Amino acid sequence: MGALARDLFSWGVRASINERNREARLCGEGREVLESDLPLALSLLNNLQEQVVAVTAQIQALTKKVQAGAYPTDKGLSFLEVKDQLLLMYLMDLSYLILDKASGSSLQEHPAILRLVEIRTVLEKLRPLDQKLKYQIDKLVRTAVTGSLSENDPLRFKPHPSNMISKLSSEDEDDEETEEGQSGTSGKKATKGAPRKYIPPRLVPVHYDETEAEREKKLLERAKKRALSSSVIRELKEQYSDAPEEIRDSRHPHATRQSQEDQHRIKYEESMMVRLSVSKREKGRRRRANAMSSQLHSLTHFSDISALTGGTPHLDEDQNPIKKRKKMLKKGRKKKGFRRRR
Amino acid sequence: VNDTVTIRPRRLMTSRFLQNKQIVIDVLHPGKAELRKTDLNHFKSHKMYKTAPDVIFVFGFRTHFGRSKTTGFGLCFYAKGNESKHRLKKHSLYKKEKTSRKQNKEGKNRIKSKGAGAGATPWRCHSKLR
Repeated sequence: MGALARDLFSWGVRASINERNREARLCGEGREVLESDLPLALSLLNNLQEQVVAVTAQIQALTKKVQAGAYPTDKGLSFLEVKDQLLLMYLMDLSYLILDKASGSSLQEHPAILRLVEIRTVLEKLRPLDQKLKYQIDKLVRTAVTGSLSENDPLRFKPHPSNMISKLSSEDEDDEETEEGQSGTSGKKATKGAPRKYIPPRLVPVHYDETEAEREKKLLERAKKRALSSSVIRELKEQYSDAPEEIRDSRHPHATRQSQEDQHRIKYEESMMVRLSVSKREKGRRRRANAMSSQLHSLTHFSDISALTGGTPHLDEDQNPIKKRKKMLKKGRKKKGFRRRR
Repeated sequence: VNDTVTIRPRRLMTSRFLQNKQIVIDVLHPGKAELRKTDLNHFKSHKMYKTAPDVIFVFGFRTHFGRSKTTGFGLCFYAKGNESKHRLKKHSLYKKEKTSRKQNKEGKNRIKSKGAGAGATPWRCHSKLR
């Protein structure tokens, strides 16, 4: 700050002196111009001296105040204050720079540039904090402008115990319900002004009823996903892509889950040196998984890609809708340590 | 028909707690469909294992799909008589005493009430009451 002030003053003095010199040189009437200018220059210099004295007095007062502790900063400066001051300083430096440039001097190693860069970095660092405080600041500004909380502010929905107190305590308690109803409505009136339609606050999740159209859309999407991973599309992809042909042991996608379970079981058995019994359901599942991969049926039946071509999705014979598995855990049927997913 | 049988051990673990060695055995029998238990138990008296055959026990053999490989477990104990009773019974190395449960309980209660020694009826007992 002090450096900037000094610079500005020196610039001001230099500017005025330069102007005079230029005028004198241009006109060629040096001596006369000097003589006419002398009182003006003297008065200007006196003015300058007075102003300098005033500024130093002010600054000394400020430093005394700061040393006396009138501006406590142990809790830190307010974010908005800091931002204001930084922006002001930035503007001052920028204007000084523009002045210098406009008067023709080069900006090489200009002290203002360093200051500008410093202030700029600090402002950049403050920006994420600004983002975080944006909601609060906006809310406060809105409240200040409109004078009351907005419609959707969740603070409006806090409980008002004053509404619960019966305002008709002097009357008899014949109909408690009507009394409560009245006090309730009067309470509502008090908070919302004129009697308006009661809109319940959206604090509790409401059951979402899926419409037929939405369900069909979901089915279509799922069918599309399934169709994209079918053998027909995969072969097309291989045909047109540049990547080399990958040879992998082909497994039916529905058999992988069962094979994973089998592997898990085998690992357990070999580490615990026991044989686990296989329930009928497990046996059935295993047979089905093996059958899917080894049927000749899969040679001639390609998966349904009508979802991609725009037809209606229908369930294939191979793919049943995966029903939710109910957890029917019977007592004593589970071996400790080995969790079988049913 | 190829009659050679290859035995491949896998995952040998020495358990000092149970005082045994545990092993997973892979048996490859490309010619045969299945192996009988007698055959499987036969190889435990093989000279390769430098212990007596009555500390070696094999169990849990399951044939894989395709019928050329069977996997099972084997245990080799440091001392005789450490194996579980049901396995010892299978190889007739253990015999249970033929006392009935009712008689055991009666005998025990008689001793308890009288406080005397063994008595005529011996009974199976785990505690140090005798």
